[in-house]
Amino acid sequence: MIDLKNNGLDYPQFAVVGHPNKGKSSIVSSLALDDSVQIGDTPGTTQVKRGFPLTVDGKVVYELFDTPGFQRARRILSWLNSQEHVSADKRPNVVRKFIDEHREEKRYRDEIELLEPIMNGAGIIYVVDASKPYGPEYEVEMEILRWTGQPSMAILNLIGNEDYRDEWKKALGQYFRLVRTFNPITATFGDHMSLLESMAQLKEEWTTAIKVAIGILNDLHQHKVEQSVDAIVSNMQRTLSYVYVKKIKSEKATVEEKESAKEKYREQSIEYEKKLEQEIEFIWNHRSVDKVENLVVFEDIGLFSKESASIFGLSENELTITGASAGAMSGLGIDAIFGGNTLFLASIIGGIVGGIGARVGFDNLYEVKILGQNLGKRELTVGPMKNLNFPYILLGRSLYHASVIAKRSHALRDSVELEDEEFFTEQIIGSEARKKLEKLHVKLRKGEEPSDELVSEYRKVILQCFLRLLR
Amino acid sequence: MQTKTNRLSLISYLDLSQLLEVYRGNHEENRLFALKHKSLEKKPTQMLLLWAKEHRFHLTQTLNSKGFFSSLEFTTKMLLSLFFVMGILTGLGLLSYSGTSPVNITYYLFFSVVIPLFSMMLTLFTMLSRGGVAEFFSIFSLLHWIDKLMPHLPFIKKKKIFTQELLPPRLVKWMFMERLQRISLMFSIGLLLALIFVVVVKDIAFGWSTTLNITPASFQMFISNIAIFWRDILPSTVPSLELIEMSQYFRLGERLDINLVENASKLGAWWKFLALSTLFYAIGMRLLFWFMTHYGYRKILKKEFRLIKGADVLLREFKTPFVSTEAPIVESHLEISEEVNLQVENTAHRSYHTIFGWNFSNDEILLANDSKEIKYSYFASVGGKNSFEEDEKEAKIASVTVLLYVKSWEPPTMDFIDFLELLINNKKVGAVQVYPLGTVGRYYESDAKDIDVWKRKVQSLRSEKVWVIDD
Repeated sequence: MIDLKNNGLDYPQFAVVGHPNKGKSSIVSSLALDDSVQIGDTPGTTQVKRGFPLTVDGKVVYELFDTPGFQRARRILSWLNSQEHVSADKRPNVVRKFIDEHREEKRYRDEIELLEPIMNGAGIIYVVDASKPYGPEYEVEMEILRWTGQPSMAILNLIGNEDYRDEWKKALGQYFRLVRTFNPITATFGDHMSLLESMAQLKEEWTTAIKVAIGILNDLHQHKVEQSVDAIVSNMQRTLSYVYVKKIKSEKATVEEKESAKEKYREQSIEYEKKLEQEIEFIWNHRSVDKVENLVVFEDIGLFSKESASIFGLSENELTITGASAGAMSGLGIDAIFGGNTLFLASIIGGIVGGIGARVGFDNLYEVKILGQNLGKRELTVGPMKNLNFPYILLGRSLYHASVIAKRSHALRDSVELEDEEFFTEQIIGSEARKKLEKLHVKLRKGEEPSDELVSEYRKVILQCFLRLLR
Repeated sequence: MQTKTNRLSLISYLDLSQLLEVYRGNHEENRLFALKHKSLEKKPTQMLLLWAKEHRFHLTQTLNSKGFFSSLEFTTKMLLSLFFVMGILTGLGLLSYSGTSPVNITYYLFFSVVIPLFSMMLTLFTMLSRGGVAEFFSIFSLLHWIDKLMPHLPFIKKKKIFTQELLPPRLVKWMFMERLQRISLMFSIGLLLALIFVVVVKDIAFGWSTTLNITPASFQMFISNIAIFWRDILPSTVPSLELIEMSQYFRLGERLDINLVENASKLGAWWKFLALSTLFYAIGMRLLFWFMTHYGYRKILKKEFRLIKGADVLLREFKTPFVSTEAPIVESHLEISEEVNLQVENTAHRSYHTIFGWNFSNDEILLANDSKEIKYSYFASVGGKNSFEEDEKEAKIASVTVLLYVKSWEPPTMDFIDFLELLINNKKVGAVQVYPLGTVGRYYESDAKDIDVWKRKVQSLRSEKVWVIDD
């Protein structure tokens, strides 16, 4: 464990507090990029405060506290008011006195858990559900928070469909320096950063640390994007160049042997895709074990299904163009050998053959071959993938999955549904990009090892596509 | 802080690639490692070497490097010795002098100048080309075929590992070229030693002969061109036109040229030229090529070392600060009972003795009564901004069946439970019906999940007096 912690608490702390079940844990989960936080409809899911420090190489930059909700706010305010009258500057001492005197009392456990970090210097982030009407009972909680004397802001969380933000703002504005809307379920990375910027305004001394944190989180985000792209590129290479080999005894492979080999080939490709999905989920911190099982993006749409081809594959026209360009690329090699003396006839013929082949072979997936007949050791091989559309189906699915996971809030606990059928690979991967991608696909289809430069160019195109999806 | 590191070698390459297949550590550990060895921050290769050294204990299986390197060393040493001997034997063979005819210098020059130049030219082409083209140039080399044959030899096969599949093709290419230079160098040294030996122990008459119409003047120019690099420094080593004329011989039957016989004592002067041409072309230039290929090999080894699968991730993890946003303490998840309370009423009564509205204003209670067409004897607002003492008074007033309106979306707090317990403990109260109402905007309709929250909470009280109305 990196243990270079700053022992003196010279970093900002924020306690996320509020009424039970108003989305405090969701907000913390979203801001801390941690999906291990228990979130539930049942109030009181959070029983003890839990710190979520943003650490860089073991050094804490800031810390968020998830806290239990107020349970007996009226009694506490009543106790505070019952104390000898003190001026406003002494009120925090009274709150401290309350904590000290009631620390062992079970009935105030929740309040002590939530007030303690505040009295240790944490800023207050008060969360309300603005999709429900304002109620004066909240004033008791807000009054207690005012007694603590700590800088505070309120977050309007829209849990439901209704919108009562205006009435909330009027009330909250009287108690809190800043009031911001933040929906942890739909918040984008940009929303996350703007909320942090608001938090930086709470106290002058915290501004620098929060600005540093914003920079770190931006870098972290970029790092995750890069990692995701690496994983996708690596999976594309792995899957497209995969060859299933099986030894056979007889002269010719039986139909069963061929079918079984094709099945094994498909299974391995699907396995590779699953591995990639897990890797992407790991990169983006969606790791909670019980949730990962539910985090299925393509539940009913298999990699080799027609639905997948229709959503993620290229249209027949685009496929023809891509096929022609792939054919031309192969022909170009022949032209190069003859120093262009062929008047680029090979490229033209290759283009035409490739274009027609792409149309004819729309359903043709892979080549099944029997090798080594003359040497006496017969091998049935399936692959590498010959279908021109398959790389785009695989890439489209990978990019779609990665973008869903990258944008997914850590506060979400339900499964992902492929509802956005507006995703079209052609829109994400334009014709220019496809030309660049096809260079690598051609190599892999031939079973050749691509050069580092080619892989690097391929990676660049995928990075651009991925960034476009994240916008 | 440990900064002493190892020199990069083929063994370290093989060990790291084998280690990375079984162990890669994680970002936190790897970053900590990098922080501990900050002095190597700008020396990624050294950092990787040290990392591999510190984590080698994870490799429990036999090291690939052990078998591979010993096989490689064994074969290379064997070939070095063999080619040295071959060089001597070739020299002795070329310089064998029966006394009946002179030693033809053109044969010797073929081995000391032409073959080395051709071989070095191929090396140069191999250096500058890649992939299949580089392989094509290497097939002209004897070493290429020896390497191909070697794994099939029984004594090598026993060692099991003599496979270059463990290494990337680019590295294999440079390794091959470097070994080729060493082996050729040994051959040339053998050739030169043979020349010196023969010159010392025998009196040799050198000559030249050709069927072509080459005049001694042209041949002198050719010889002079070969000696271009040293003729100005050591002019005596370049054969004069007179010597060249003298040493040309024609064989007609068994009879030697009379001129040749008359000048036999002078013909030995050729040896200096032959020795220097061997020294310059076969040894000097070969040494230069050896340095070049050795440098290239080291450079590629260093480059490929960083390209080992997984090394890029490791290097990135060394460089990238480890950012953590998660809670260091794992939350013990709250077990939520899904059992539902059986004390549920489907409809409210038509009239009640007492109606309370928890966090409802009086107007809101009246509006709800009107909407639900419920009659009452007494109603009051509880919770909210009331003091707990005020609520205690209200609880004492209640009797018979009490209807308690609650906001369905606001989960029950302990404050509410405290009030409910007051009602339960009031002996005049026969039953308490908790009626969760939705917002006015939704005509008091509640979400089922909100009602469930109330049911669960009421169930936890285990009181026969309390019911929940779920209409």
